[in-house]
Amino acid sequence: MNSEQIPEPISIPEEILQKWEAKGVSRRDFMKFCTAVTATLALPVSFIPQVAAAMDDQRLPVIWVEYQSCSGDSEAFLRANQPTAAEIILDVISLEYAEVVMAAAGHQAEQAKWAAMEKYKGKYLLIVEGSIPTGAGGAYCTVGGESAVDSAKKLIQNAAATITVGTCASFGGIPAAAPNPTGAVSVRELVPGAAIVNLPGCPVNAENLTATIVHFLTFGKLPAVDALGRPKFAYGKRIHDNCERRAHFDAGQYAEDFGDAAQRQGHCLYKLGCKGPETFHNCPTIRYNEGTSWPIMAGHGCIGCSEPGFWDTMTPFYRRLPQVPGFGIEATADKIGLGLVAATAAAFAAHGIASACRKGDAMESDKLKREE
Amino acid sequence: MSKRIAVDPITRIEGHLRIEAQIEGGKITNAWSSSTAFRGIEAILKGRDPRDAHHFTQRFCGVCTTVHSMASIRAVEDALKIQIPDNARLIRNLIMGIQNVQDHVIHFYHLHALDWVDIVSALSADPAKTSQLAQSISDWPKSSTTYFKAVQGRIQAFVNTGRLGPFQNAYWGHSAYRLPAEANLMAVAHYLEALEWQKEVIKIHAILGSKNPHPQTFLVGGMAIPVDPDSQNALNADKIAYIGKLLKQARLFVEQVYIPDLLAVASFYKDWAAIGGGVGNYLSYGDFPMDNSGSVSSLYFPRGIIMGKDLANLMTVDESKITEYVTNSWYSYAGGDNKGLHPYDGETTPNYNGPKPPYEFLDTNGKYSWVKSPRYNDQPMEVGPLARILVAYVGGNPDVKGVVDFVLGKLGVGAGALFSTLGRTAARGVDALIMARKNEVWLQQLADNMGRGIYETFNKEKWDPATWPKEARGFGFHEAPRGALGHWIRIENQKIANYQAVVPSTWNAGPRDPKGQLGPYESALVGTPIADEQKPLEILRTIHSFDPCLACAVH
Amino acid sequence: MLEIRYVWEWPVRITHWVNALCVVVLALTGFAIGTPILVAGDGSYVMGWVRFVHYVAAYAFTVSVLARFYWMFAGNHHASWRAFIPWTTAVGRRNFVKMLRYYTFTGKQISYEVGHNPVAALAYAGIFALFVFQIVSGFALYSQYNPGGFMAGLFAPLLNLVGNQWLRLGHHGVMWLLLGFFINHVYSGWLMDVKERNGTMSGIVSGYRFIEPRDL
Ligand code: HEM
Ligand code: HEM
Ligand code: NFV
Ligand code: SF4
Ligand code: SF4
Ligand code: F3S
Ligand SMILES: [Mg+2]
Repeated sequence: MNSEQIPEPISIPEEILQKWEAKGVSRRDFMKFCTAVTATLALPVSFIPQVAAAMDDQRLPVIWVEYQSCSGDSEAFLRANQPTAAEIILDVISLEYAEVVMAAAGHQAEQAKWAAMEKYKGKYLLIVEGSIPTGAGGAYCTVGGESAVDSAKKLIQNAAATITVGTCASFGGIPAAAPNPTGAVSVRELVPGAAIVNLPGCPVNAENLTATIVHFLTFGKLPAVDALGRPKFAYGKRIHDNCERRAHFDAGQYAEDFGDAAQRQGHCLYKLGCKGPETFHNCPTIRYNEGTSWPIMAGHGCIGCSEPGFWDTMTPFYRRLPQVPGFGIEATADKIGLGLVAATAAAFAAHGIASACRKGDAMESDKLKREE
Repeated sequence: MSKRIAVDPITRIEGHLRIEAQIEGGKITNAWSSSTAFRGIEAILKGRDPRDAHHFTQRFCGVCTTVHSMASIRAVEDALKIQIPDNARLIRNLIMGIQNVQDHVIHFYHLHALDWVDIVSALSADPAKTSQLAQSISDWPKSSTTYFKAVQGRIQAFVNTGRLGPFQNAYWGHSAYRLPAEANLMAVAHYLEALEWQKEVIKIHAILGSKNPHPQTFLVGGMAIPVDPDSQNALNADKIAYIGKLLKQARLFVEQVYIPDLLAVASFYKDWAAIGGGVGNYLSYGDFPMDNSGSVSSLYFPRGIIMGKDLANLMTVDESKITEYVTNSWYSYAGGDNKGLHPYDGETTPNYNGPKPPYEFLDTNGKYSWVKSPRYNDQPMEVGPLARILVAYVGGNPDVKGVVDFVLGKLGVGAGALFSTLGRTAARGVDALIMARKNEVWLQQLADNMGRGIYETFNKEKWDPATWPKEARGFGFHEAPRGALGHWIRIENQKIANYQAVVPSTWNAGPRDPKGQLGPYESALVGTPIADEQKPLEILRTIHSFDPCLACAVH
Repeated sequence: MLEIRYVWEWPVRITHWVNALCVVVLALTGFAIGTPILVAGDGSYVMGWVRFVHYVAAYAFTVSVLARFYWMFAGNHHASWRAFIPWTTAVGRRNFVKMLRYYTFTGKQISYEVGHNPVAALAYAGIFALFVFQIVSGFALYSQYNPGGFMAGLFAPLLNLVGNQWLRLGHHGVMWLLLGFFINHVYSGWLMDVKERNGTMSGIVSGYRFIEPRDL
């Protein structure tokens, strides 16, 4: 083994450990937590003390708003494990506004939101869940009488950074699926150029969210992202390239039907429409609900839930390729292609017969030859 | 003097709900329920593959996740006349069952409790007395003085930071809070425990369906999760055992924490058994098939209707009597807005004509909500655990009867107390308990099937659209946590020609109909006392007792 | 007097046959990627091999197409890029119409050509466009195995603009267009061989065609 690969003994400063103990978090739990977060962020273990120190900072003010959402991402957050939602809400951040959990309601809730925006201007982290409808003058989504368009713009512009949770906020998601009845847009489309990190997924994987928050706390900035604004640590690889069934794909072992022997034995779901080859997400490695499972592990193909426009591009979900636009539901690319080839062959066969029977179409040189 | 107030957003619910109320003499005299968000998923579904629909509909809601997948595949299976294998039925029952249990517990502790529990007052509780209280009502092991002291210390440390985060600006100290400090501390401890518990027990969804929220395992014709004791990639003995462990954990928490807490809290708020009754008509579709016949009689929770709080007269449900109105909703119907449409012919054409945002009040004389107004036989109906439990109670489900009688006896109230805000909250607990116990039975049956070599989870006969008729239509019913859920689908040329969902919260949160009949929320609010119109805690109590979900209601 | 003329220089012939072979291999393997019909026993690596062959052929094909593009500027006037756009000159347009009328049985005259016949030339222009599309979409799909890499960076704008599913559908669909062309192409070659009797078919092997100068 290369000596560089031997991890340094990791030590978290005693006073940090003591502080957490006073808050009722055991040393072991705290160490475990810091290690897990560091791993999720794909950081070397030497970063553990830095992560630990960041945890100890003044709690980060966070505003969590929901627009055209189904609250699935809020729920996903409540299922977080490393750290848990309770630990985050009580110890890591100061959650100034979050409709699903907050005690205040009505104008007291609104007041908490706008007061936090003013008080922590340029310093708070904004989390947006759900897309933002631009149609009907903003009336497709209002909170406290104010349109999502207006409130989102204000909140984004005054935030230190924005995290979009879920595919709706990141890319428009289901409300923006054709024919997009409400003119739904993503956060990035609404406020281009803002400091945003997209955490698509339907819903977002809670571990990716907590890791992003901790990254922000640790380094004071958002993690490195790809061209679609997704952090590389979570979306830097294709499902297909990390899939536990990949060996079966390469071996040519596929489930032909749900429930057949191959599917029961964990063979590749490619022929059942799996979109793992088109989807960038870390589902196979971190899975869901504390690593319990993920779609392919449970026998269902990936539907590409973290890809932009997946409701239109990844459907039909049980076919590998999208429908050819303008053709019926049963018209696969192959059926159309085969039809095209057959029609070509038939047409040329007919043409050939006609041409062979054809008289008097020869070239002038032919005539010349016969005359000779 | 009469005053109009608006509570927007209603928090600790799912989605965007706005309540406007007219208050006179310390009481609500009129109320309007509105949802202020619309996505249009019914319109988005048109023209798509019916087998894909459940993925879309599941995204109606991430809180009652799974329920719209269930209703959707049932609708398609009804349209195409597909029978599912026994294992698929059991797996579905388990997924729905644990969904109900987990959703109810989250509702009670995280969405509803703060209407009754004053967290701030928990700081002044005596941990020793709290321990005594806890031990007097339950055998739950986490009940020592040291334990409650630690919880109190944690809350104290949190409060000491001076930043209350999600607990700021609430109605703490409101005169309507009545629990002793010790009960409050116990509730806070259980608030935190429930937060931990819910993420554990819902791993059942992950085992059976990859993840929660939004499990990905449903199929038209069965389930994607394979069953095979000889495979490491299927439900095998190991996974069954894991589910069994989680189910036990779920049941113990309901039996030893949720139900005792519910009874303890309710005993301080018995006056709420006379508040918030509402329309008094109850609809339950019934659910949890006990065999694969598809018949109504196979349902563990029976299907039925109770009109005008008349428990002596249980009526059958006639699906054709369901209609939706948009007279007061921001939609238009091609044939005129005052006509009710049956869901097969339902339309979702947005037509916003309300005030331009930002606004202070809605114009409640016209259209004022994105929720439609469903009616049964032109009557508004309340749906939810209360309706489900009432119908099962009079419909002769012995398990339900036993638990309801036990709860009523403990509280020393008659069945009439159920028609109330408190009744709704209590019925939810009853529902959770029944489900928590029943789940273990279904798991055992699934294991028995596996033992007998029955592995089938999917019926592929009608999977290929080429096998479908040119035209078909069907509906799917489901008792979601929040009540009677129905999806209706029309299939033409292998595509969705029309798709309509009438959702529990649509029934409950809908606005007035053309006859001016109030929806269940509105009706339940009328007559509710309001001690302080700046802090309308009482509105939250009654509205939360329905467990609103507006993303569901509007979709 | 018939003359024997050297029309197709060796780079044209070689790239033609490499392309033809590659297209066949790519279509076969591509189809197998899209619709895996070979079912394997344990321990085999069927899809792995199919994809490997697809990628090897893909590289060969790419090199060959690029070489042919180079020759469009370096080769003789039959090989020139100008030969593929017959409608730019008056003669070309006239011959094009003549040929089209022949194919559609509305005219009897075959326009006599040394190089490509003008209708075929147009089809070849289209085919080269499809080649480019297959290469670009193919490498864009290929690049996704390593999203941090150079190739992925090159194709990221395209992938993000079009979306990988549409690109894949296009890549798949063009396979069928190429197969359709194949039929058309071989048939037309045969037809001209029979009708023109100028060695159309053998010309692409030997490079020589028989020309009657008086016809030109
Ligand atoms: C005449 C040229 C070509 C034809 C007819 C062809 C055909 C195909 C077809 C039919 C597929 C299956 C698509 C699907 O159903 O998903 C495919 C896949 C693919 N082709 Fe090609 N292809 C050609 C050239 C290329 C080239 C030049 C490349 C460059 C690397 C390439 C790379 C790929 C890749 C990466 C895939 C996806 C493989 C996978 O997902 O495992 N192809 N090709
Ligand atoms: C049995 C197989 C084939 C035969 C006998 C054949 C024959 C020919 C002949 C005779 C020509 C010259 C005709 C003219 O200029 O009008 C030609 C040109 C051409 N063929 Fe083929 N071909 C075959 C397969 C293919 C295939 C599979 C492809 C690709 C899909 C292809 C693509 C082309 C192209 C692009 C040209 C123009 C050549 C150039 O200018 O580089 N051929 N072929
Ligand atoms: N209402 C409602 Fe649901 C439930 N339970 C759905 O059908 O919450 Ni989101
Ligand atoms: S991304 Fe999915 S889970 Fe999140 S709000 Fe949208 S539909 Fe719900
Ligand atoms: S199951 Fe899906 S992601 Fe996994 S190897 Fe097969 S096609 Fe790829
Ligand atoms: S469907 Fe979504 S959860 Fe992962 S496996 Fe596919 S991206
Ligand atoms: Mg509806």
